[in-house]
Amino acid sequence: MLHDFSYHRPSSMKEALDFLAQNGPKTAVFSGGTDLFVVIRAGVAKPAHVLDLKGIPELGKISWDKTEGLSVGACVTINTLTEYPAVREHFPVLRSAGEELATFQLRNRATMVGNVVTASPCGDMGSPLMVLGGEVVLASSSGERRMPLSEFITGVKRTLIRPDEVVSRIVVPPTWAGAVGGYHKLKRIKGHDLGVVAVAMVRKENTIRCAISSAAPTPVLLPDLAATSSVEDVQKKAQSMISPIDDVRCTKEYRSFMVDIFIKRLMKELEAAA
Amino acid sequence: MLDQIPASELKHVGKQTRRIDAVEKITGDATYVSDMILPGMLYARVKTSPHARAKILSIDTSAASAMPGVRAVVTGKDLNFKLGLYVVDKDILAREEVRHFGEAVAAVAADTLEIAQKAIDAIKVEYQELEPVLYPKEAIKDDAPLVHPDLGSYSYMEAAFTPRPGTNIANHTRLRKGDIEKGFAESEWVIEREYTNPSVQHVPMETHVAIVQWGRGDKVDIWSSAQSPFTLRNLFCVAFKLPHRNVRVQVPYIGGGFGGKAGIGIEPLVAVLSKLAGGRAVKLTATREEEFSLLPCRSQLTYNIKTGVSKDGKILAQQMTMYWDSGAYADYAVNVTRASGYSAGGPYEIPNATVDAYTIYTNKPFGTAYRGFGHVEFFWGLERHMDLVAIAIGMDPVNFRLKNTLKPGSLTLTGEKITSHTGDIDACLKTAAERIGYGGITKEEEALAAKTGRKIGKSVVGLHKAPAMPPFTATAVIIKMNEDGTVTANISLTDYGQGTYTAVAQMIAERLRFPMERVKVAFECDTDRDPYDWQTVASKGLLMSGNAAILAADDLLKNAYGDAAQILRANVVDMDHDAEGIFVRHRPEEKVTFRQLAIGYVYPNGNGIGGPLVGVGRYIAQGLTHLNKETGQGHPALDWTYGAHGMIVAVDDETGEYDVLKVVSVFDAGRVINPDAFRGQAIGGMLQGLGTATVEGYIYDNRGHLLNPSFTDNKIPTSRDLPFEVEAIGIECPQLDGPYGARGIGEHSMISVAAALGNAIQHATGAQVTHMPLRYEDVWRAINRKEPVDNWITRSPFGSCKSNPEIGKYQCD
Repeated sequence: MLHDFSYHRPSSMKEALDFLAQNGPKTAVFSGGTDLFVVIRAGVAKPAHVLDLKGIPELGKISWDKTEGLSVGACVTINTLTEYPAVREHFPVLRSAGEELATFQLRNRATMVGNVVTASPCGDMGSPLMVLGGEVVLASSSGERRMPLSEFITGVKRTLIRPDEVVSRIVVPPTWAGAVGGYHKLKRIKGHDLGVVAVAMVRKENTIRCAISSAAPTPVLLPDLAATSSVEDVQKKAQSMISPIDDVRCTKEYRSFMVDIFIKRLMKELEAAA
Repeated sequence: MLDQIPASELKHVGKQTRRIDAVEKITGDATYVSDMILPGMLYARVKTSPHARAKILSIDTSAASAMPGVRAVVTGKDLNFKLGLYVVDKDILAREEVRHFGEAVAAVAADTLEIAQKAIDAIKVEYQELEPVLYPKEAIKDDAPLVHPDLGSYSYMEAAFTPRPGTNIANHTRLRKGDIEKGFAESEWVIEREYTNPSVQHVPMETHVAIVQWGRGDKVDIWSSAQSPFTLRNLFCVAFKLPHRNVRVQVPYIGGGFGGKAGIGIEPLVAVLSKLAGGRAVKLTATREEEFSLLPCRSQLTYNIKTGVSKDGKILAQQMTMYWDSGAYADYAVNVTRASGYSAGGPYEIPNATVDAYTIYTNKPFGTAYRGFGHVEFFWGLERHMDLVAIAIGMDPVNFRLKNTLKPGSLTLTGEKITSHTGDIDACLKTAAERIGYGGITKEEEALAAKTGRKIGKSVVGLHKAPAMPPFTATAVIIKMNEDGTVTANISLTDYGQGTYTAVAQMIAERLRFPMERVKVAFECDTDRDPYDWQTVASKGLLMSGNAAILAADDLLKNAYGDAAQILRANVVDMDHDAEGIFVRHRPEEKVTFRQLAIGYVYPNGNGIGGPLVGVGRYIAQGLTHLNKETGQGHPALDWTYGAHGMIVAVDDETGEYDVLKVVSVFDAGRVINPDAFRGQAIGGMLQGLGTATVEGYIYDNRGHLLNPSFTDNKIPTSRDLPFEVEAIGIECPQLDGPYGARGIGEHSMISVAAALGNAIQHATGAQVTHMPLRYEDVWRAINRKEPVDNWITRSPFGSCKSNPEIGKYQCD
């Protein structure tokens, strides 16, 4: 059962941003709703307004060019993303992570931008976007700003977004295009589950990049490492940066252990693929 | 009955048959209580306790009552009715003290669900928290605080149960067979270990839902998603002191039950709201989260087994102690304790045995019936233990089992003699072993192990279960012929997914020699229309209602033959029938059709004889007795269905991750009535069992808050979690008093699956896990001999809840 809110569906960016300039703090922005309506139903969020972005054509766009890279609008669903030819060609890590997110049905609704804005430590798109150097584009009636995802997410469900802003799109620069990559996620069942712990990794030329989810308040991005690094070195670096917890899903001991396992498996996998 | 008819002579029984409810369920045409809206209907919501144990100091409902659209507000103070199946220990709403997290303390009926929820939010309850009783083995100590200080004043079913006033023991089932001391003294080995499982939730697709209208003259109409309409009516009438004819229970299609809808649930609360709201219909639909703590779950169990074995591997003595955590109320848990108690040794002969099974009150959501009725829980321990003993004494686990199985002439724990027609457990075990290639590794398995680095493990486990029911359990079926010669059967056993109605229709069609299209078993049940059935539980429906249906078909034929004998002026012994009608055997052209007989035969001049054709079949369990309360001796079992599972797993011994490659489930069904339904039940139950084996289970903090009351952290298996390969095989050693020789298998498919997994993982890796579920981490810890995770109650005062924002606020308030 949902509490009462008023529903708005603007048809232009300007309309949406003007609305947020007026009502931002009392408004929840809505595209897929796969997180939003769970928290509203649970009584955790009680927005007075729900602003549906799906009427704004430009937010449904996904595009690729060699200069800017990949641009994914706020309303682009995970299934659209994973099926997009440029994603398949240039950013296999995004596809790998996208296909691990929830179920096919939910991926028809859930968006990459929503997954990132929710900023859950176990969100599936945070760590793969971080290894690719993904950037969020924030829009408000006073203009646009842009920042790396690693700066944008500041804590558990905390980001630098202002109440008058939306993340209009995420840009993945071409730097890591063509990198082989993979995403390994520990789940409790083979069907859909949150990530109990997960590791994203890419490898291009002589560098590997690795980020870890569900092992700290935010996804953890490791500094770039030489592809020749030993598995133990990468594991050691990872362990020095994560701070996993005990909870009903897992102990911190097993989370730490599985981070090492996933690093080992990914390094082997990416070496073979490279 | 009819058990000796060879399969070749049967047209419908034993043949693949499409379920009679398939089309309406697949298309969405079937109506469930969840779908129903009555004119003027109000919506109810419930206020639940955030504490496991607390005194209710005050409840302020004034703001809720004042809200426009609120039609009724009720608290425990207003309700002086006690409910209970076996021990009458539960108030409709908590009075004075709450006894578990999620217990209902107040309720509201309003014009809309939204108003009802707002009113609930506006109710203010002041509590004084008390120290909760959480650990069953501590709860039976003398100085433990009492969950029910007034236990001595409660009424209970004295023929079967033994609540102990002044303690937290709601029941103690005792069984004594032979001389246990002598048995242990003669044993070469004595091996003891303890096994545990957590509470789990049934998770029916349709949550608990009821609509009740308390009309003028105390006439009450109930529509409920309930398994047992007559037991619901009976308990309702007893609680409210109403004559049975005043109360009508209707049950349309049911979206699953698994035991969780067997008794009485939310109906009395909804009834009270309807009465307070001036007789308007009121509907209450439990949310998914409420299913986990407002509604009951499956009890947790601690099972200690001590086994004495002779030099040559024969079990000589077994001491079995069960601690059943009933939670706050006794509900079905006392009977789970009883049924598990007399069955606790499994399908094995144990000459000297003791069972002490305790049902223990604690401050947790209460336990109820759940598919298997205790057997899934204790067979986890028992079949893990059988492997432990076999390995310890250096015997192959399957051979050890085969050496000890019940055979014709063996005596069960209660002293019942096994006969050649009880069933064939050896055939089940051997078939399962053969179908998984037990004792060897195939080339494909070897290749898989080499490719993935995983270790292959194989296991075979046995199981048995008899229906847990009163010795005098009864049912009836009425078959009515329609004007066109088709028939409609009325039955109040419910079909909430098992496929029993299709099997009953097959048997009626077989007996009447009709095509299936001419037989309807009416799906919706109605206590005003249908004949009595005790309950839809215990895997007894096929046997008992099947027999009643055969008898009803025979009765209808007897009436039809009687009319035909007059019309054809022939002797009944010289007559026979086909699908069309009844004829004289030596002059087949002398025939009267069923259509002509259906509502009474009419002569050309207008005279009529006979009358509408009906058939009544009554069936009651035969030869069963209460059990002696001191020794547990007696005859509790309508039938024993034996079974076995064979399982192959591939385990990563570095991480504890595993895949279930294959499960073979074998049941001695007596006769498989519908091979499709048999397979459906076998696979469905196996996967449900695998869910509880791999991932399900309640987790509490040390204040008794349930930390995972939703699908976020109480996962259940999905279609992707099916084993890669599944087989279901029926053994057919006929049950002489079963319909066409059949026995039930509905619950059996879930039993021992967890032990099969535990054993296979142990064979692959050496990991010794004694607690369910077996999450990857648990396996990893066991492989590495690390201390197990405390699965039941986390150590921090607020559990993991505060540190985990993913868990919503409804989970730990």
